[in-house]
Amino acid sequence: MENIIQVKNLSKSYKSDKVLDIEALDIPKGQSFGLVGNNGAGKTTFFSLLLDLIQPTTGQVENKGVIVSLSEEWKPYTSSFIDESFLIGYLTAEEYFYFIGDLRNTSKAEVDELLAEFADFFHGEILNQKKYLRDLSKGNQKKAGIVAALIGNPEVVILDEPFANLDPTTQIRLKKIIKDLSAQKHVTVLVSSHDLMHVTEVCERVVVLDKGEIVKDIHTSEATLKELELYFER
Amino acid sequence: MTTKQFLSLEWKQFRRSSFFEKGLAIKILMILAALYFAGLAILGGIGVFFIFKKALPDQDPFVLINNYMIYWVLGDLALRYFMQQLPVMNIKPMLLLPLKRQSIIQFLLLKTSFSFFNILPLLFFIPMSIVLMVQGYAPLMVLIWFVSILAFSFSINFLNFIVNKDSKAFYLVIAFLATFIGLQYFDVFDITPYTGVFFYSFYDLGYTVIFPLVLVAFFFKANYRLLRKNFYVDGAVQAKKEKFKNYNLEFLNRFGTLSTFLKNDVKMITRNARPKQVLLMSFLFLFYGLIFFTQDMYREMPAVLAFAAIFVTGGFLITFGQLVPSWDSEYYKLMMSQNISYRKYLESKWLLMVIGCAVSFILSTPYIYLGWDIYVMIAAGASFNIGLNSFITLYGGALNRVPMELNQKAKAFSNTQGFNPTQLLISLPKILGPMLIFYVPYKLINFNAGIIALTLSGVLGLIFKSFFLNLIEKVYQKTKYKTLAAFSEKK
Repeated sequence: MENIIQVKNLSKSYKSDKVLDIEALDIPKGQSFGLVGNNGAGKTTFFSLLLDLIQPTTGQVENKGVIVSLSEEWKPYTSSFIDESFLIGYLTAEEYFYFIGDLRNTSKAEVDELLAEFADFFHGEILNQKKYLRDLSKGNQKKAGIVAALIGNPEVVILDEPFANLDPTTQIRLKKIIKDLSAQKHVTVLVSSHDLMHVTEVCERVVVLDKGEIVKDIHTSEATLKELELYFER
Repeated sequence: MTTKQFLSLEWKQFRRSSFFEKGLAIKILMILAALYFAGLAILGGIGVFFIFKKALPDQDPFVLINNYMIYWVLGDLALRYFMQQLPVMNIKPMLLLPLKRQSIIQFLLLKTSFSFFNILPLLFFIPMSIVLMVQGYAPLMVLIWFVSILAFSFSINFLNFIVNKDSKAFYLVIAFLATFIGLQYFDVFDITPYTGVFFYSFYDLGYTVIFPLVLVAFFFKANYRLLRKNFYVDGAVQAKKEKFKNYNLEFLNRFGTLSTFLKNDVKMITRNARPKQVLLMSFLFLFYGLIFFTQDMYREMPAVLAFAAIFVTGGFLITFGQLVPSWDSEYYKLMMSQNISYRKYLESKWLLMVIGCAVSFILSTPYIYLGWDIYVMIAAGASFNIGLNSFITLYGGALNRVPMELNQKAKAFSNTQGFNPTQLLISLPKILGPMLIFYVPYKLINFNAGIIALTLSGVLGLIFKSFFLNLIEKVYQKTKYKTLAAFSEKK
């Protein structure tokens, strides 16, 4: 399988403080990739570098051959939901979806079609609410953000902590969505989480970050959860 | 919680506000500005007596002042409604602490008394009262009058609180004011002479001071009750949730790919507190010309008129444009990782500014009444605004990296957002540019030459539109990471 994300010598320092240092990391197309680590391990920093939201101190990230800090060509096939600052608070959920659809050259009808698939996931609390996104609960905001990241048939989807703040039912549904994305649509999904169980269940591969460095790179199997638990118990 | 603890919290909040984290130069400028306004209020307080005395020598100036007091009350109420921030949100952390609700509410109400809007009347009315005493009015009665006015000021303070929190009260006040203004306008019933007598009675009779004192007590009590009843996180403590409003914006589709952004910006402006304030400000700018165009003194100084003409049509363009990336600061990360080209983003903002300018120009048509030469000047100013000022303002915006809370009203006079040395520097060409472009040909040739030069400058700007946009785009590209970092900082 060809690699879609290629990371080379990537590091990020704030003054003398090195928060991320990845020599090499390749992610093949269609893989569901999980990132775990304690607070401050560099998960969000890594995702921010993938999305060119911060400038790398050294090295580069290639997304389908495009160096993200040099060109914007990666944007049409990459989408993400990192935190609530990816939402436009004064729009309703529908307006937000259509706005993203407009940006990704997806017609209203196509967006509606996609939304219909997620009726389950929304649990009747997102659409037709006559409420602005800023007035929704944290969990519902998250749902809207995650689904918005799936609009426009992206090839790479980046989700930071997608399971946090979600109710159990939605967590289960989200796991299915992520699995389907990678298995059926060959979308490369990058997910970070604090919940080892979720990650091992959803991802084909789990990478552990500690103080900015990759300390484990595991292809998930039956034993993975145990291995991770042992590691974090230290 | 003791009063001492409360005051210490307030002091910390004041000391650690963003104002004190600004550079020294800005601090000095801000202090100068504050002194300027304070000085203006004091001078006004001293001067108002003599102005009335000079204008109408055969009448008692104090009686005249009292006739106009009703306008102060109305103006103060309006100003507070739009500008005064309610301190409600800050008490959320105290709800969980072992404190009596009663004392929290009292502190909260006490806190509103420290507002800038309560200090300003003091600065005006204290000097005025002193002047009255010096001028031979009975000191004790002047004091009673002053106390009455103070009570009114605080009544307005508390009324504003209620009006902001309770939509029924809001409509009641609006209906009341509308009737009052309507009756006056259609000459059915003029209430001002009565209010004049009423205000004068505080001095004349003295015992009517009871009325404002009862009023302030009443509003305090009403506030207290309102807060007591709603003292829950889903009650008064919560920020106001707005009803969902939708409009048909399909007509904007004619702008093609830019329409996505335009539609979004229209929603942004109409659904958030801060941009609404800007909209109001830009409307007020329309009247800016009246100050200059109606005075003969300025008629002889066309360069000053050119300056005024810029502001008549440029209100929205300047007030909105100077904060351009900041408007999207709350979701800037989304904008930067979505499938958006900077160029389109900038162009849509530019288009919005141009539309704002065009609307202002249409609204400024009544200026024809003051003479065609003035209207022509406003038209030339609009051309400059659209062609050049828009780009200068957008460029200045790129250097402005202050995150903004869209749904919070700007604090009056403690608002330092978008106020930094680069902003000041960039505003120089905005102000001096049109004056110079107009003045040089005017001095060398004639008035019409100046008008033509100003108009042409705008047309020239339009011709080089893509050049300018490219230039600004490069600045945005270069400062992307800095802007992103600044916008994600918590305030």
